[in-house]
Amino acid sequence: MEFLPDFDVKRPLTIVEAVAMAAMKNTCFLAGGTDLMPNLRRGVGNPKTLVDLSAIAEMTEINETDSGLCIGGGVTLQQLIANPQIQRDFNVVMEAAETIAGTTHRYTATVGGNLCLDTRCQYYNQSEWWRSANDYCLKHKGNICHVAPKGNICRAAFSGDLAPAMLIHEAQVELISTEGRRVVNLDDMYQEDGANSLTLKQGELLASVTLSKLDGYQTAYKKMRVRGGVDFPLAGVAMAVRGSEDNLEDMRIALTGTNSRPIRLEGTDALKGKPLDEAGLKALGKLVFAQVMPMRSTFTPAAYRRKVAINMVRRLALNLLCQAYSKR
Amino acid sequence: MTKLNSELKPNKAVGDRLPLIDGIEKVSGKADYTADLDPRGALVGLILRSPYAHADITKLDISEALALPGVAAVITGDDCCAPFGILPISENEFPLVKDKVRYRGDAVAAVAAVDMRTAKKALDLIKLEVNELPAYFTAEEAMAANATLIHDDRTGNFERKISDEFGNAEKGFAQADLVREESYHCNEVTHAHMEPHAALAEYDVERDRLTLQSVTQVPYYVHLMLTQCMSMDSSKIRVIKPFVGGGFGARTETLNFEIIACLLARAAGAKVRMKLTREETFLTHRGRQETTIKLKMGLSKAGKILACHATVIQRGGAYGGYGTITSLYSGALLHAIYDIPNIKYDGFRVYSNTPACGAMRGHGTVNIRFAFESLLNSMAEDIGLDAFEVRRENLLPDKFETLNGLKALSYGLPECLDWVEKASGWNKKYKKLPKNKGIGIGCSHFVSGAGKTVHWTGEPAATIIIKLDFDGGITVFTGAADIGQGSSTIVTQLVAEVLGCDYGRIRVIANDSAITPKDNGSYSSRVTVMVGNATVDAANKLKDILLEAAAGKFQCAVADVECLGEAYQMKDRPDTALPFQNILDVALIGSGTISVKGTYFVPREYQGTGKHRGAAVGSSPGYSYGVSAAEVTVDEDTGMITVDNIWVAHDCGRAINPLSVEGQIQGGVWMGMAQALSEETRYHDGLHLNPNFIDYRFPTIVESPHIEIKIIEPGDANGPYGAKEASEGALSSIVAAIASAVKDATGVEITETPITPDRLLDAMDKQARKLHKQGKR
Repeated sequence: MEFLPDFDVKRPLTIVEAVAMAAMKNTCFLAGGTDLMPNLRRGVGNPKTLVDLSAIAEMTEINETDSGLCIGGGVTLQQLIANPQIQRDFNVVMEAAETIAGTTHRYTATVGGNLCLDTRCQYYNQSEWWRSANDYCLKHKGNICHVAPKGNICRAAFSGDLAPAMLIHEAQVELISTEGRRVVNLDDMYQEDGANSLTLKQGELLASVTLSKLDGYQTAYKKMRVRGGVDFPLAGVAMAVRGSEDNLEDMRIALTGTNSRPIRLEGTDALKGKPLDEAGLKALGKLVFAQVMPMRSTFTPAAYRRKVAINMVRRLALNLLCQAYSKR
Repeated sequence: MTKLNSELKPNKAVGDRLPLIDGIEKVSGKADYTADLDPRGALVGLILRSPYAHADITKLDISEALALPGVAAVITGDDCCAPFGILPISENEFPLVKDKVRYRGDAVAAVAAVDMRTAKKALDLIKLEVNELPAYFTAEEAMAANATLIHDDRTGNFERKISDEFGNAEKGFAQADLVREESYHCNEVTHAHMEPHAALAEYDVERDRLTLQSVTQVPYYVHLMLTQCMSMDSSKIRVIKPFVGGGFGARTETLNFEIIACLLARAAGAKVRMKLTREETFLTHRGRQETTIKLKMGLSKAGKILACHATVIQRGGAYGGYGTITSLYSGALLHAIYDIPNIKYDGFRVYSNTPACGAMRGHGTVNIRFAFESLLNSMAEDIGLDAFEVRRENLLPDKFETLNGLKALSYGLPECLDWVEKASGWNKKYKKLPKNKGIGIGCSHFVSGAGKTVHWTGEPAATIIIKLDFDGGITVFTGAADIGQGSSTIVTQLVAEVLGCDYGRIRVIANDSAITPKDNGSYSSRVTVMVGNATVDAANKLKDILLEAAAGKFQCAVADVECLGEAYQMKDRPDTALPFQNILDVALIGSGTISVKGTYFVPREYQGTGKHRGAAVGSSPGYSYGVSAAEVTVDEDTGMITVDNIWVAHDCGRAINPLSVEGQIQGGVWMGMAQALSEETRYHDGLHLNPNFIDYRFPTIVESPHIEIKIIEPGDANGPYGAKEASEGALSSIVAAIASAVKDATGVEITETPITPDRLLDAMDKQARKLHKQGKR
């Protein structure tokens, strides 16, 4: 068994208690632990205290709002998948959640944990011995990014599946710390820096995420991975479309696995009001090509991940338009 | 007297779908694997591993680590003066390195301490200074002229160069109507057994005795190597194999951590537990080597294979291990599947600064078989012949002796071909499936135990002891290691078949050198045939004793006694029937506890001819045959391959336990599919990039196709009740079957494994561009 460093575990019952405990340095939140614990065993991070969020009842609720749904950060992926409102109104979120890790993980892993998932890299998700033998890296203890040695920024890939699906639904996250509560767009919780991909402050807790319903849209999530279970996305695409092949009324696309943050594809407005024909698909591909930036963060080649992101976006767009047409 | 059921019949155990006898412990979690053994009083053992790929050690200072409170022992290469290795001709590995490290992960020093925290701290206090040397991560680099030697006595970094020719390949090519030469590349794979490595060693200071419990497939080899590396009298060593969670060849060789645990236990005068991490388990490796194959084949118009010439370069890693044998297997098993008059083989086993390779399911044959079957399929198409027909043109006779001296008494390949062709609907599917769907086939074979053991002693190939005592319990003592493949179940069934008795009477005690007879272990699919034959021999001897006792009781000739298993009677005289226990009571009079020994010797003619160097490798009492067809769907957007169906026919001679045979074949299908589609180890400057089960992508249950299995049972006179090997034989055929199905689906011929989505999509794009260009012209 790999070595687990010493730490205290605190188990608060309320968000107020939790953020008070987490305000101190060397503290981090423990939700499902499916990603955090393997990292700790590998010597990535050495927190003195883990604040276990599993006993906070207020974080495990799913409540309807005027325009959508508010999901507690502590809701497990399995609870999310089983929720009737998610199934009815947030298909893309359900589909994304179903692709995460393995079945047993989903009974433990949480919504908040997946949104705040640490970025991944073949030079980072390794043991202490391994990273030390490789002179560490920009993300942890080192001075160089082995993915892009000439750059000065970490290129680890964001690999959460929920984020793109929730970006499609204009997600907003409720962040709470001892300094108070703020609500920000999920999009603003991320930045393109593999070593600091979250804009959260120390001790700030993702208490809940609120999604807006999308009426009249077809939505779906497609994930490229080598195995149909367990694997993180090599590229993941979440999409919502309205209209038909002859007339694309609206389109929202977000991607994961290709950059250090989940990205919302920009520029799709130019395709609106037109048929999604060969020229449209070509234009769509160009948008993806320009905005995704897969790097050598995994040994599956970056060029392939980019190509496949483009192919998946095109395919998904056609499939969803087809579905939209057949539902009329 | 017990009233007997007049319907009493002997237990017909051969062919019975008996659930594995240790299955209940495993599925209920009661089974204790090595890491579960009582850790009370045990120190924690940890290994310091080299961060360097190739370097001379200039300084190794353990003084601070030794001085740390709680540390009981710190050992280095100085604490062991004898090397170890599976092959007597290439024992070039020390449990802890001497003077030089050869791969990133090589064991430099080891610590035993009161707890994990202290042991870890002690490792950090060991000072290692080195002078780095050029390191080679590919066979090509290591073979280059003037490359620094990884082992001083291995010129050119070759462990072994083999050049064999049977017949005259050039002459064969000259007669052929079609000659093609292709290159194939198989990336390295590893066993990925579920249970990580672990060992529990206890040294008794007062009596100078050592007990090791470990995850081994061959406790006997571990015993031998401990004797050598510990410089101890072998009588003072006891090796026990608890439940083992898979091996697939990884644990055939003695592994360094097993010896290190014992060295630590002796140095500390205590009990030491080592539980290797998954990463360390990957680094210990011994998997299937990266292989580059150049294969030339000549066919007549009718599809007769007139000649083949294979050049096989294997990147063997940092130590010799099984290397020479692996390389010899690749050449030897070009024979014994088809009737080929001219076969030439050039094999190169090359050292590199990567973890050492070794034996892995289908030892030495999987990569070459992938190449051979792929090329045969492709050339059959060129010549306009059906893949099944071309194979029927090249069948061996039922009983055969090959050019390289391999003999066999059964050959079920023709029946395997017939069944797969029909069951898969081949004639309606090949070249006729919708776009992006395809079907392909492959054939393969494997030995049923190596004809000659690595450590030749003149002893029997297998020995079994059976004890029968006053309680009526039949206890079978075997050294054969059940590592999940079910060997103890087969032993149980064979005893039950011979004696006709209930299973409930039989217990198997396995793998404790203090109790059970020596066995050469679980590798090369030897146990069913060799240990099985010894079991039948022992059980027959026991039966003779019981028949004689019954004859005495009935006052008739032995030949007039009928054994009903749970009772004995005079022939056709149910009224005379007496229960087993009554006959046993008679047998015990004047003798007491009954103990019999059964043995098996491989007949001389099945040990190879000895006429060429390495002739024993590939020899076996029998060969299993497998044919598989794979049906796939390719996603043209992503290059993802989905295996929809596999049909596999396997000639295992006779299925002693069809349930277990089917399980083994399914396992083989998954392993073949894994190598075909997704598994490969990767290195970054010699650092293992994917030493975990997220990035080392073996298929999950999601990937499992529908598998239809047909067991072909021609029976083989050399096997117990006709049995031969089951599982390794079919595995190799799967890789080529899938690759050929991908070709049928896409038109793209992939010559590198695994066929990952990125490799396939690249190849499809390349082909599309080529076709586009041709179209423009």
